[in-house]
Amino acid sequence: MDQQFKRIAIEHSDAIVQRWLEEINSLKEGNYTASISDELFESTNREFVNVIFTSIKNQGSTAAVEEFSEKIINLGWPLSYITDGLQVFRRETVDYILSQSDKVDSDFISNVLKSVDLWVEPLIRQLVNEYSGSWEHILSLQRVALQELSAPLIPVMDKITIMPLVGTIDTERAKLIMENLLEGAIKHNSEVVLMDITGVPVVDTMVAHHIIQAAEAVRLIGSTCILVGIRPEIAQTIVNLGIDLGKFPTKSSLRKGFKTALEITNRKVIDLKSQEEDAENLMGSLDGE
Amino acid sequence: MRIPILKLHHYLLVSIQTEIDDHTAIQFQEDLLSKIHKSGSSGVVIDLTSVEMIDSFIAKVLGDVVTMSDLMGAKVVLTGIQPAVAITLIDLGIHMKNVPTALNLEQGLTKLHQELGE
Repeated sequence: MDQQFKRIAIEHSDAIVQRWLEEINSLKEGNYTASISDELFESTNREFVNVIFTSIKNQGSTAAVEEFSEKIINLGWPLSYITDGLQVFRRETVDYILSQSDKVDSDFISNVLKSVDLWVEPLIRQLVNEYSGSWEHILSLQRVALQELSAPLIPVMDKITIMPLVGTIDTERAKLIMENLLEGAIKHNSEVVLMDITGVPVVDTMVAHHIIQAAEAVRLIGSTCILVGIRPEIAQTIVNLGIDLGKFPTKSSLRKGFKTALEITNRKVIDLKSQEEDAENLMGSLDGE
Repeated sequence: MRIPILKLHHYLLVSIQTEIDDHTAIQFQEDLLSKIHKSGSSGVVIDLTSVEMIDSFIAKVLGDVVTMSDLMGAKVVLTGIQPAVAITLIDLGIHMKNVPTALNLEQGLTKLHQELGE
């Protein structure tokens, strides 16, 4: 029975494809593929139909399907194009087979439905799997990228290291921050570590707790942690919440913190030439002329 | 197993190279205090670079040693605490607030030097 339907479908593939294309084109109007050029749409539809028929002929030739889905994903077409296309195909094929048969009763209809379903289901399953697989892949890549960005450590100069923090801090990230901070401080032999929270939008009790813990741990391994970038609203929240940050140094800006860090390491910034000297030199050269 | 205590001019150097059990810790406390008494040292550096684990008891003993040595007139600096050890201590709620620390032996000695004003 199934073979017979398959024969009908393959023999009259041209007619089915014709009806399928018409249907798909009507779907195109004002839909997901509105921005796609007609040519590309046409050629992709042809390819789609070919993939469907090869799959029916060979009982699911996976390589062709994989290739096609990869192409569609790379083009950035929505998943609904594929599911709609296959639904339309199912409907059209069933319609066509029924119209070609003389003797139609309920058994026959259910048989047709069953066998067409058998052709289409594996295709849908595979294509949807390919799609979601690619999404998951992108998601995991982004997660890794985000993690790399979440706790960077910059050894700006000998004995001084800066950790700029941007974005909200949760427990998982706080753990990462602490590990990176401690390992980096030891690796770069930093006497002072500046933690810059300019980019942290909210400092609540939880975030403050994590920051305090990190600072304490930094003290234990033998360097000093200075908290910089405390904005007015953050200072207000910290005091209103009754968080005690008095145990380690804090500064309003990275510049001030850096100055303190230089003081701790017994250094300071000096201009190579003072402006007065410059002026004197200028006057001297003018006199000489 | 006893932990060796070395004398270097006015200072005492202790490098702990093994995992410390409770008994060794107490033994070390006694040894160090008597050594300070005998040698009249003014500073002690305890290096913990090779220590991978410190439990709450050892942490308490170390904190006590620091206070006791202070009472006897010797400043103590702990050096080379590993990140994992620091995280464990903080998680246990042991902050060792009165204990001076330094990144390594060299900086520990510098720190002692500064604090003793020599």
